[in-house]
Amino acid sequence: MDNVSESESRSHASSPRAPEQLHFTGNGAEYFGIWIVNLLLTIVTLGIYSAWAKVRRLQYFYRHTEMAGSSFDFHGSPSRILVGRVIALAMLIAYNYSVRLRSPLTIVILVAIAVVMPWLLRNSFRFRLYNTSWRGTRFHFRGTVARAYRVFLLNGFLTLITLYVMAPFMHQRLKAYQHDNSWFGRTQCSFHARAGQFYVIYLLLLVTLVVFAIVIGFSGIGGAFAALSQAQRQGGHPNPLAAFRALAILYGALILMGISIGPVFHALITNLIWNNTRVGEHRIECNMSPRVLIWITASNFVLVVLTLGLFIPWAMVRLARFQMESVRLLPAGDLQEFVAAEPETIGAVGEEAATAFDFDISL
Amino acid sequence: MFQANYFDGRSTRVRVVNLSVAGDDLIIAGEDIDFRIPFTDVMVDERLGRAPRRLRLKDGTFCEVRDLDALDTLLSSTAHRDGWVDRMQRHLQFVLFSIVACVALVVMAYKWGLPWAAAKGAHTLPPAIGRTLSVQTLKLLDGKILVPSGIPEERRQALSAKFHALRLPDGGTPHSELLFRSSPQLGANAFTLPDGTIIVLDDLLTAIGDDPQALAVFAHELGHAHGRHGLQLLLQSSAVAAFWTLYIGDISNLLAAAPAAIVQARYSQDLERQADDYGAALLMQNGMSPALLADALERLAESHSGSSKGGYLSSHPSTDDRMRRLRQLGVSFKNK
Repeated sequence: MDNVSESESRSHASSPRAPEQLHFTGNGAEYFGIWIVNLLLTIVTLGIYSAWAKVRRLQYFYRHTEMAGSSFDFHGSPSRILVGRVIALAMLIAYNYSVRLRSPLTIVILVAIAVVMPWLLRNSFRFRLYNTSWRGTRFHFRGTVARAYRVFLLNGFLTLITLYVMAPFMHQRLKAYQHDNSWFGRTQCSFHARAGQFYVIYLLLLVTLVVFAIVIGFSGIGGAFAALSQAQRQGGHPNPLAAFRALAILYGALILMGISIGPVFHALITNLIWNNTRVGEHRIECNMSPRVLIWITASNFVLVVLTLGLFIPWAMVRLARFQMESVRLLPAGDLQEFVAAEPETIGAVGEEAATAFDFDISL
Repeated sequence: MFQANYFDGRSTRVRVVNLSVAGDDLIIAGEDIDFRIPFTDVMVDERLGRAPRRLRLKDGTFCEVRDLDALDTLLSSTAHRDGWVDRMQRHLQFVLFSIVACVALVVMAYKWGLPWAAAKGAHTLPPAIGRTLSVQTLKLLDGKILVPSGIPEERRQALSAKFHALRLPDGGTPHSELLFRSSPQLGANAFTLPDGTIIVLDDLLTAIGDDPQALAVFAHELGHAHGRHGLQLLLQSSAVAAFWTLYIGDISNLLAAAPAAIVQARYSQDLERQADDYGAALLMQNGMSPALLADALERLAESHSGSSKGGYLSSHPSTDDRMRRLRQLGVSFKNK
């Protein structure tokens, strides 16, 4: 009897529940209407409406993403986002002008920005997660400010002085900070990828870049630039054709890199990160195919350029569908049993400042 | 009556409920739930494509509705009205209108709004900014594109003296500095830095020949300095760069724009005309004919023909028109 019940309970524990595939149900034509009205109102209001536009955009994408028959939701308030944007804009202007006009104030402004940044980034995680919900239960970010300073300032400094040898390590630390401190209701998330796994992917990236650089070198860009600099030394005017050729190869190479190496790296690192993240005991499986991501990125790029931007809504929807549908939750138990935490209020300043300074923290 | 999922906001438990309306009330009925609330206490999510919509109650609970058509039918029997943005987003004519309006607004902003705002900005910014920018720019250009002038010291001093003796139309004397440089790349050229410093290149002086014509060119450049056109152009190009940064999402080249923008300054015809008018007024104030500037332009046009270098005039469009205007001013000046 004992044996039977034990084997029964074991089979119950080990028999995995059906994986919950994420689905994205939006479509480009539908989103186009929302996108163009957002754009028009943003222009007409000289940018003020952009905060409301952002909320509509995020709500469109969150609400069209569903898991186990329920969709996600975004709750951010536009007025808070607007305040965040104003502060971010002020910081961006201060940064630009302090870099351009080297004055005694420059160093003060740069130091001030460096000191404020970790705090802002931590707040941006908080804002984004707190305003995300599924089945009425919100996510939370509980990382401390002190740890934010260690992750961003100390590791950032180490990365710089080791000439980026520490970059994969820093990336791993950043993700650990983000995911270990994320909560869904009262359920804590955890992060299990080791720095070594980040190094493998970064090494692959490095090798590809070196090979790519060699190929570019053979493609004649070196010759084109040599001809240009020789013309300049002789005091003559550079040959416009040679200049055009050099620039065409350079930009072509950059674009090629952006739509090939970029997506491969993105897919590999995203898979690594999500495959090693758990929500309580529930595991996540992320299976983003680098090949398909290259195809989507490249075709999106071409179509957005050819349509002068009008394809952007379709491009965003295609990418979102691909990204969402490569994620599955492997439940370890009942998904009905998550419990919500106490409500909080959180401002958007950090999130907006982080976007304005172009930190890619969305992985 | 139709089905929806009810969530209590405290857990992820799904409760299937039936929704219906009776009078002014919404009725929510399911396995262990059965209540009615006035519809005025229900907040209905706006429509976003075919995304599920939520009916939010004041206590943080809500119903997630997937049957959007049934919800529309239910809503039509209540006082609920869709928001105006919602209606715009779904209206084909309005969406098409939005496309046209966006393009038109961007073009208009670029053509009129931007120069106007940049001009206002150039006159409002503290002079210290223009000075710092100019010092930086000159530092970057010197030794790279600009080399020391080969014009004899005496001629430079004579020109400087005449330049500083000019009376401005408002009665003062020029507070701009006049710097002499040479540049194989830029050829016969003269340009004004954001703080009004005028840089004149050797080839331009050689092409023009005599001093009165050189002074006429300086007068024109003083017009740019007076109108703060250099700073205006810099602001304009920064704004355009910022726009592309936002639209395309690349931040890198924003910082390198300043020196390039000043050297390659392509003033609009409007700004050239303003500088010509100022220069003409200045010349007349000093008892010289505006026709001198036209003569200088003509000499430069001759020296440029056959040369592949873009010079002074390549950044100064429609020279013929400008010479005609200046000569007319010259005739009326003589007749006075």
